[in-house]
Amino acid sequence: MSTDKRITLQHAAEIIKDGSSLTFSGFTIWRRPMAIVFELIRQHRTQLHLIEVQGGSHTEFLVGAGCVDIWESCWVGHELYGKYGANLSRKVAEKKIIVEDYSHAEMMFRFAAAASGAPYAVTQTALGTDIHNPEYDMLGRAGLRDGKRIAKHKYQFTEDPFFGAGSQVLIPAAKVDIAVMCVQQVGEEGTVRVNGQYYSDPEVARAADITIVMAEEIVPEEYLRRNADQNTIVSFEVDHILECPYGAHPTGMFGRYDVDGSFLKEFYGRSRTQEGFDDFANEWIHGQNHMSYLEKLGWPRMLNLKANSAMNYAPREKKGGK
Amino acid sequence: MSEHAQPEQYGLADLLCCAASREVGNNEIVFAGTGLPMVAILLAQNTHAPNLKLIFEAGTLDGRPPELPTSVGDARCEMGASRASGLYDAFCIAQRGYVDLGYLGGAEVDQYGNVNTTCIGDYLDPELRLTGSGGNPDINSFARRTVFIMVHEKRRFVENVSYITSPGWRVKKWPGGEFVHRRELYGAAFRGGPSAVISTAGVFRFDEVTGLMYLDTCHPGKTPAEIRDLCQFDLDISRVKGETVAPTLEELRIIHEVLDPDEIFIPKVKTA
Repeated sequence: MSTDKRITLQHAAEIIKDGSSLTFSGFTIWRRPMAIVFELIRQHRTQLHLIEVQGGSHTEFLVGAGCVDIWESCWVGHELYGKYGANLSRKVAEKKIIVEDYSHAEMMFRFAAAASGAPYAVTQTALGTDIHNPEYDMLGRAGLRDGKRIAKHKYQFTEDPFFGAGSQVLIPAAKVDIAVMCVQQVGEEGTVRVNGQYYSDPEVARAADITIVMAEEIVPEEYLRRNADQNTIVSFEVDHILECPYGAHPTGMFGRYDVDGSFLKEFYGRSRTQEGFDDFANEWIHGQNHMSYLEKLGWPRMLNLKANSAMNYAPREKKGGK
Repeated sequence: MSEHAQPEQYGLADLLCCAASREVGNNEIVFAGTGLPMVAILLAQNTHAPNLKLIFEAGTLDGRPPELPTSVGDARCEMGASRASGLYDAFCIAQRGYVDLGYLGGAEVDQYGNVNTTCIGDYLDPELRLTGSGGNPDINSFARRTVFIMVHEKRRFVENVSYITSPGWRVKKWPGGEFVHRRELYGAAFRGGPSAVISTAGVFRFDEVTGLMYLDTCHPGKTPAEIRDLCQFDLDISRVKGETVAPTLEELRIIHEVLDPDEIFIPKVKTA
């Protein structure tokens, strides 16, 4: 069996087919696989079903470009650089997207269930909210609950049969085709080392049928195996790897570079209309490749984002404040 | 105790931050959201609650960031932390019952403390889709107390929120959707609920038996009647204790010189 898992950026996007269900590494505006997201937009991928612990800037790009039919998650925005997901809001108003709302912990537990091979998880969160309103089962309303990849029910309620602890919510495992990850280091055989908070990366990688890992650097597998206790994802859970420096930009990466706040702020501002989104995509995505994108950003901008290797972020003071 | 500032020496964001900071006790475990709550918690850590433990939703446990994080996923969160992990840990810890206090925000709140961050208008045909729940209902379900920090406008303090994202003291029981006391629904998982809403007009608390909101203190310059007029429901103003305590000069110094010198979340007041 070949152990060569290397693919190109273009190939990574081609593995993701129209109609695939996708999930991602990272958290809101940190460690999102943006280079692959931009390539998906260039390849005009459509009808994607995003199932995410929470959304972020990458969601907004895919939704704005019309790649997404279903978004199943709990939150989208750009943190302090854009207070809500303008593209998702617009598509919801135009009824061009199905949104299925769960709570953040529910989404996390749904992935943990899928990652452990369990059909569902049990929790006591969000009781009494409209998240559990049976009228708001949007995949059910759309007739998409086939009990195969999409669960037969959004929720089931039950009483604790063991300790009499009262109402419990059962939530279906998040069954997802492909996890697209963006990390600091991957070995030649797929072992992943994430530095800093690993967010929901271990569960997401294990839950997905196919896992694609884009890393700042591919390192010798042997180097990672010298300190196996520091590794985050096991080699055989990873199907494809690629090296793509600054592949998370404009989102940030612990120890490597900060979030490009001015980029996100400009994107948020311009993407509040479809024309503005299209204009932004024509400027930064279409007709570009990853190298020309980096060239357009330029060295001074990237150096300004570069993390201090002792602190793992770019201290504000050296740059003279915001 | 440092001297209290005069009205011209602080802004509304300073007042909210200090009021929020005073909700934390020493040795408490606190779930921190992005923005003003983060400054409030770090302020408490730098003043009356040096032993509080901070949890960031993205997975940093007992963090002591030396520079203000811009979000809970920020690389700044984990400097000095006990452990940097992930969301599964953070939510398991919360569901297990470790969390004393959570700080949250919202677009709308009703008289029972139900909060909406999902949409304005009918969910099935919304006027505006907002960010969605994030961890708001989770932190609010798991913590003993939650404090909401909100902009006070009449359109935000409503009889019924468009969508209950986060559970207050009287919540909907499904499948019917009739309102019941939170205690009844949560059973053995009941630990508490919203303990305060700190708005730009005043501080509000809840009668845990009736589940109803009442006015606790008015921010300087506001009267109880004015604040009642800023609510669409009939706000109980019979239990007002007086004015919200103004920031001290020491608190202002810590906010603007130590925690947020770059005015990322809290603007400095321009004095003539």
